[in-house]
Amino acid sequence: MIQVEALTKRYGSTTAVDGLSFTAQSGMVTGFLGPNGAGKSTTMRLILGLERATAGSATIDGQRYADLTAPLHAVGAMLDARSVHPGRTAFRHLLALARTHGIPRSRVHEVIGMTGLESVAGKRVKGFSLGMGQRLGIAGALLGDPGTLILDEPVNGLDPDGVMWVRGLVRDLAAQGRTVFLSSHLMHELALCADRVVIIGRGRLLADASMQDIIDQSERAGLIRVRTTEPDLLAQALSQLGAEVIPQENGVLHVRRASLEQVGAVAGRVQATVLELAAEVGSLEEAYLQLTADSVQYRAGHPAAPVSSSAEGSR
Amino acid sequence: MIMSSAPTGTTVAESVGAYSAPTLRRIVAAEWTKLLGLRSPIVIGLATVVGAGLLTYLSANASSGDPGFDPTAGLLDGMSVAFIGPLVLGVLVGTGEFSTGAFRSTFAAVPRRLPVLAAQAIVTAGFVFLMAVLAAGTSVLGILPAAASRNITPDLFGDGTPQGLLGAVSFHVAMGLLGVAIGALLRRPVPALVTAIVLMLILPLVAVLAADLTTDPLAASRSGTVSAQTAAVNTVVTFTPIGAGSTLMAPGPSAEGGPDLGSWGALLVLAAWVALPLVPAAFRLRRRDLV
Repeated sequence: MIQVEALTKRYGSTTAVDGLSFTAQSGMVTGFLGPNGAGKSTTMRLILGLERATAGSATIDGQRYADLTAPLHAVGAMLDARSVHPGRTAFRHLLALARTHGIPRSRVHEVIGMTGLESVAGKRVKGFSLGMGQRLGIAGALLGDPGTLILDEPVNGLDPDGVMWVRGLVRDLAAQGRTVFLSSHLMHELALCADRVVIIGRGRLLADASMQDIIDQSERAGLIRVRTTEPDLLAQALSQLGAEVIPQENGVLHVRRASLEQVGAVAGRVQATVLELAAEVGSLEEAYLQLTADSVQYRAGHPAAPVSSSAEGSR
Repeated sequence: MIMSSAPTGTTVAESVGAYSAPTLRRIVAAEWTKLLGLRSPIVIGLATVVGAGLLTYLSANASSGDPGFDPTAGLLDGMSVAFIGPLVLGVLVGTGEFSTGAFRSTFAAVPRRLPVLAAQAIVTAGFVFLMAVLAAGTSVLGILPAAASRNITPDLFGDGTPQGLLGAVSFHVAMGLLGVAIGALLRRPVPALVTAIVLMLILPLVAVLAADLTTDPLAASRSGTVSAQTAAVNTVVTFTPIGAGSTLMAPGPSAEGGPDLGSWGALLVLAAWVALPLVPAAFRLRRRDLV
């Protein structure tokens, strides 16, 4: 279990992490999201004791990382796939890590097998593709058979096979009762493998909830879309029932606070021909964009343009 | 595509026993594994060993025609230049973690951090010791052809020769450690190498040049004594790393007017030079963020 309490990190006048508190529970995959520069990597480095917090604390199973007796056994981390000397072979890198904790050579071969690196284990890391580097990082994280895994962008650069493999791996690890804490920019991927989501922006906590709760927060969640030949008639009838109706173009209505069945029944009563009727489903991506709209630091295009304008236009 | 078959069905823990804390002994083993896992230490080691022998051979050959040729006098000519090898090796060990990002995995495994620096120093000292012993061997081989050409059997056990060889080995080990310390402090290979080279080669040169410029070259011969400036410069040179190294390799008063440190004194001077960057490097490592 990872516990972060009022964690703060300042570099001079810049505050990278600002009073952040959350918990990543054991037996669960906790996704960690935020725009670039939100402080995700800094938070991970703070948890691993590579950086010292200005205030607050981060503990693993109640202990500060620096106080762990056998760190690799408690926490397996992959912060950056390029955390390896490029002149060393994958095997040597893992062996050197293993030796710090007296981990047997057989375990090194085991994690090489688990991550599918057998054929390149004897090659120097400088020739590795991003995906192979990523697998090596994951192999290093698994080396000590840790109770907690911290993975920064683990699927970055992996091929579709690799992405599916990581999904299965983190699910398995959590099912074994381990804590899995991972960041990713691939929302669809995260939506498939995470149980909980922690979203931060500008170093502050924006959301810490179960995946379902986060998705339910997105604007499209609970929205019903109906296309009819008589939009005005239907809108009026639905409004009278207490539903919220937002007329769109081409005879489309967006309806809230009503069920699919109610909309269908009302349409039948007012004799409006229904051409389309569907319940929209929210998505993590949408919820994420809404939550982080105000805290995006690096934004493409005109700096004065509100970030949500394009998203609103498409809704 | 090598990666196309993603392994499945392997459980995470198969051969896992009780892992224990990273002890200094284990970290030394890990650093040794890392050192031997790179090409550069092997290349530098070979170059130093071969270079020392070759330079000694060339130097002995060049002076073998002199009337009073003593083959053992030039025994350390190669090693007195080949210290560059251990110095560069040390710098690469000291900067290697930071110049590549490997420090993230290293210091995540050893969050106490300082044992890693200690292990790097130990491993470098050990590797350089082996290198230097082999370089001493090739140096001995290097003087043999010249000695044979004059029908001289070099006496390796008399006249301070064993002490000189031991001194040369110690000097090389100290240079390796100095390289680690400068590398660990500066963390980037190029500035660290430049600093090391300036300290070892350019600083003594500047001191000597300064002495030449400020003194009348004929003054000494005219009065028959060493001028105060020359004595001061030679004192400074004696306390430079290279001056201390010369004292180690050729015990006795080195330069005119400079103090005689003796072998132990010279070792102390070198230890101080190693400590000078090593202590702030340790502080930086212990106290500051690793980004």
